[in-house]
Amino acid sequence: MDSIIQNAVAKGRRVLSEHDSKQVIASAGLRVNREKLALSRDEALAIAAEIGYPVVLKGSSDKAAHKTEMGLVKLKLANAEDVGLAYDEITAKGAELDGVLVGEMIASEREFVMGLSRDPQFGPCVMFGIGGIFTEAIKDVTFRVAPITEHDAEEMIDEIRMSKLLGAFRGKPAVDRAALVRALVALGDLGYRSNEIAEIDINPVLIDGDSPVAVDALVILKKFE
Amino acid sequence: MRASQAAAAKQIETLDLENFFNPSSVAVFGASKAAFNLGATICKILSDEAVGYRGRVYAVNRKGEDVFGAKGFRTLEEIPDAIDLAVIITPAFVVPELVRQCGEKGIRSIIIESSGFSESGEEGKRLQREVDEAARRYAIRLIGPNCLGILDNRHRFCCMFGANDLAPLAVAHPGSVSYVIQSGGIGALLVERLLDDVSGINKMVSLGNKSDLDEADFIDYFDTDNTEVIALYLESIGGGRKLMEAVRRTKKPVLVYKTGKSEAGSKAVMSHTAGLAQNDAVFDGACRQAGMIRLHTPEELYTLPKMLTEMPLLKGRRIAVFTNSGAFGTIGADMLSDTRLVVSPFSEETKARLAKLPGVFNAENPVDIGPAPPEVYLEIYNILLGADEVDGILHMVSMWRDYVTDVMETLVSLCRKHEKPAAMYAFSALDKLRAAQLEKRLPLFAGAQEAVRALVVSHEQFLAVQKKGEPLWIQ
Repeated sequence: MDSIIQNAVAKGRRVLSEHDSKQVIASAGLRVNREKLALSRDEALAIAAEIGYPVVLKGSSDKAAHKTEMGLVKLKLANAEDVGLAYDEITAKGAELDGVLVGEMIASEREFVMGLSRDPQFGPCVMFGIGGIFTEAIKDVTFRVAPITEHDAEEMIDEIRMSKLLGAFRGKPAVDRAALVRALVALGDLGYRSNEIAEIDINPVLIDGDSPVAVDALVILKKFE
Repeated sequence: MRASQAAAAKQIETLDLENFFNPSSVAVFGASKAAFNLGATICKILSDEAVGYRGRVYAVNRKGEDVFGAKGFRTLEEIPDAIDLAVIITPAFVVPELVRQCGEKGIRSIIIESSGFSESGEEGKRLQREVDEAARRYAIRLIGPNCLGILDNRHRFCCMFGANDLAPLAVAHPGSVSYVIQSGGIGALLVERLLDDVSGINKMVSLGNKSDLDEADFIDYFDTDNTEVIALYLESIGGGRKLMEAVRRTKKPVLVYKTGKSEAGSKAVMSHTAGLAQNDAVFDGACRQAGMIRLHTPEELYTLPKMLTEMPLLKGRRIAVFTNSGAFGTIGADMLSDTRLVVSPFSEETKARLAKLPGVFNAENPVDIGPAPPEVYLEIYNILLGADEVDGILHMVSMWRDYVTDVMETLVSLCRKHEKPAAMYAFSALDKLRAAQLEKRLPLFAGAQEAVRALVVSHEQFLAVQKKGEPLWIQ
């Protein structure tokens, strides 16, 4: 994790790519979907076979914050043919990519968001709430000042208006609360200990069975003069 | 973290704010006989004409003239007495020099009421830096600048300029709620509204620019004195984490109303998180985390404390609604359904006991009774407060007979005996109620919604106290 951040700082970058961002949060103890960076079409096919279908392909770039809008995200790819086509489409968009991410596809109807921000008065703060593309419109989120205790994380989970989504839902089991609590506490520790990280955005956090998994992440570093 | 907490603990040990509230001698800089002189209003307030402060008051002005009984001197040096507290209300440009003079004389507590500092441009900021430097050099603690200073009802001390009419009323009605404010208008509102309330003001401090002492320092101080409820009106925060730590240290309720809800967060953010992390959302989380109760309206600063000073805390969520007018049973139940509290079903035993009483229309929750003698009211209170399935009562009654205030008086003592609260609202004969409120010390709420809020806040404080046994953040 430190080497990823040092590397970005050395290159004068403030925004980590999705892949690097996920490695940072994974090393802090959060579960992320299995994925690898493919540098060629053949590599993409090999990784997809290794992970197992269906898979997700995403163009990887530290300059593209809105990948979906740019057509750089292809979901539910069921076989090698689809992966090959998706790879070609993504690389044909003309975006400056450092590769194509091939990742495990998590099917989940529930989408949450976790994050870290720095408040001018309170310093690093952890956020939890309802995620997905309507995050800002729904605005069902809550904050705590880092580092947070397990008790704080429990309160956050119970505090959002739609906390019922964390219970058993449409035939799916209740979300593993302990795992969610661990993730929020870990995020708070990361924000409190790191001098370099300005913001972290993990959206969405999907629910695989009962387990929360980060399938997209964005780490933004502080400005260094 | 440990090092900073140790440092904070040390600071508290050495922080003695007593001289701000209960000085034996005070010098008012800038008080003179000139027309519209603000310092003179302070001398007048302290005189026997108004609050009748028992300490010695000196006025420092160019002519050395006496002001409303305060002995006048041209300079601080000339005052032969030791001075506990300096109150400065002069033009800003002379303040740094006055602070230095105070330091030389050994004064360690200064209130700067003058404006023209960091709130007003570059020159003001420069003056404030000079003041801060001088204060640091002499280990002086400052309130202000640009503030109203102090009101202490029990020590009959007030240096809030212009409060000539209100200060005497305030000291005649002392209580146990201590306020930190950032607005004179709010201060006046609180003093006036609490005059016919069972709660009253213990101390009030107006902070202004907070160049030194801030709300967290006064939370620590109010934790050590006879304050029962600490209430804050904030327009800004001195230090986020310092405030949270002070709140966590005290078991006394800390209520806060903060302005700036609509204030936008940092601009041009890239992440969802930072976009959503507006000042207010973070402050809200910080309140919950530390155990501070966030108020919905500025009025709650004076309407809610009585629930905390007069009643035991609400330890659970189950509320029994009691009324002698059917409509209010439903209204109360509706309002409770919007909160985390619940209208709990009664046990068979409770229902059977209620059903035996004459005049009981509904022996379920909400309890509804018709015309009934006072004994029936008291019997119902005992049944409800004694029931295991009831944590508190929402009491909403019509004043159909005068004895209703008597039974409410008994209800207050029954609540204390059973250690369960009742939020009381009565909705007729308001003039009679107003008189009874003070005479019988009834914590009455002015509306159904207010009574429901009182129960919610009481339970929030109960939960906050439980949490305060644990450290705020573990490292």
